[in-house]
Amino acid sequence: MLTFVARRLLTAAITILVVVFLAGVLIHLVPGDPITAMLAQSGNASAADIARLTGQYGLDKPVWQQTLLYVSNVLQGDLGTTIRGNEPVAPLLLGRLPNTIILAVAGLGTALALGIPMGVIAAVNRGRAADFAVMLIAILGVSIPGFWMGLTFIQFFSLHLGWFPVAGTSARNIVLPALTLGIVHSALVARMTRSALIDILNEDYIRTARARGLREREVLMVHAMRPAMISVVTVVGLVFAHLLGGQVITENVFSWNGIGRLAIQAMLQRDYPLVQGFMVIFATSIVLVTTALDLLYGLLDPRVRRR
Amino acid sequence: MSDATLPSRRLPFPAALRRWNIAVGALILTIVVAGALLAPWISPYDPFRMASGPRLSPPTAAHWFGTDELGRDLFSRVLLGARLSLGIGLAAVAAGLTFGVSFGLVIAFYPERVKGLLLRIVDVVYSFPDTLLALALVAFLGPGAENATLAIAISLIPFYARVTYGLAAVERAKPYVEAAQIAGTRATRIMRVQVLPNILQSLIVIGSIGFSSAILSAAGLSFLGLGVQPPSPEWGSILASGRNYIARAPWILIFPGLAICLTVLSFNLIGDGIRDLTDPKGRQRRI
Repeated sequence: MLTFVARRLLTAAITILVVVFLAGVLIHLVPGDPITAMLAQSGNASAADIARLTGQYGLDKPVWQQTLLYVSNVLQGDLGTTIRGNEPVAPLLLGRLPNTIILAVAGLGTALALGIPMGVIAAVNRGRAADFAVMLIAILGVSIPGFWMGLTFIQFFSLHLGWFPVAGTSARNIVLPALTLGIVHSALVARMTRSALIDILNEDYIRTARARGLREREVLMVHAMRPAMISVVTVVGLVFAHLLGGQVITENVFSWNGIGRLAIQAMLQRDYPLVQGFMVIFATSIVLVTTALDLLYGLLDPRVRRR
Repeated sequence: MSDATLPSRRLPFPAALRRWNIAVGALILTIVVAGALLAPWISPYDPFRMASGPRLSPPTAAHWFGTDELGRDLFSRVLLGARLSLGIGLAAVAAGLTFGVSFGLVIAFYPERVKGLLLRIVDVVYSFPDTLLALALVAFLGPGAENATLAIAISLIPFYARVTYGLAAVERAKPYVEAAQIAGTRATRIMRVQVLPNILQSLIVIGSIGFSSAILSAAGLSFLGLGVQPPSPEWGSILASGRNYIARAPWILIFPGLAICLTVLSFNLIGDGIRDLTDPKGRQRRI
């Protein structure tokens, strides 16, 4: 178990390091001189600004030195300062992190609350109309762009029915974005639950349980669901990562004050330090969550540790 | 399982169409592709001409999908949008598939130590959602249709590389590859002439899966203002400009959105159907 944990943590650390490195390298993709490009966007560039930014990025040095400088700065917790307003990037992004986490958890909760029962219904009624209906909903779910579903929800629930505010970041406002993220991502959960449960329902010990005269509900809830949930835990990490990806757009649709909304504003304004900081913090969050879930999975299922 | 019991991966074409999901997917896709190809001839109006009709007119006999905030005909714009979306999807999938498949094949033929490292790198990148990768790349490349296509293509590479590696590793372990190696055939030739044709059919399936994710990413990027720029009628960018009028003109929202859904759905249905046909596990279960 200890080597499993150590190996998993090492992988996570390397992944984060690679992302930081990429964030440092990618800025050189910017066509032309990044400083000029950045300052062109904010308009009033002075010689002092150019000198400040050139120094900050070490742009007078070779590319590999600049990248190393960026990586070492990030490792010391310094993500640089924004072009607009010259604010430190790290506190700005971290300040938005709670909103993003709240929405992500609400979205994931909705996805599980919708997806697991859908998968169970499909598996139990395998090959019948209910199974077909659930699988049809699941394939529709992965085909609908989240931002479009969000806009449709705003049109119907907020504007037409007036149930929810159109935009903002409050307890009442979370319902529609969480529902949008939840519905889109419940499809994968439903598929996974269904196939895991179908495999398990074919196992010998389930037949034994039925032969012993246990009621079908008991067989399902006690004997089949527990191992099926272990399989579902494995995809929760994947679903969560994808949900965070989709959340960047969803936050923009609902004007939810999270990291994603800030990031898109930064991208449109070419505030590169902020974009780099977003990459680092967002990717680190994804890595931490998926690693935690992997460890949890190892704890639940000893077979995983040996791989 | 010995080689003899492995089901053939060949897909009899007419039989494939008998599966409902492939049939429905192919039907929708045919309509979308036809619309995209014939757009210049069947568009009732010039998709860029303002005041083709009244502003924000709901769907009428003259304007089937209504008009937008500048009085442009929405039906004509959605039709031309099919061209843009399918074009970006095709270019991104072609580029992503070419590089991804090459990487996957090369990794499969590297010695154990190098392979482990390369595979780890691919896995690391693959663990991030492709939309996020595309977004990060566009942020630095700058907005625009070409850059978005490039970013989406790059974001597809890890997925294609991973799947190709899996398929190629299975082929590599087979006796015919070993025989070729003993005969002194160069690794690049074995990849190209022997392994690639054997995994081609499976690659077509993952190609269709990549298509749906490429079209969703393209629409998302354009919606955020980072992809295709207005006035080009990419579906995502029509939605972005229609967003401000959703209270007064919901049709600007409905039709381009439905176009995205149906197109993505068609690729997903076809991909699912082919997977049902080729997945030996799925087949056994049905019996």
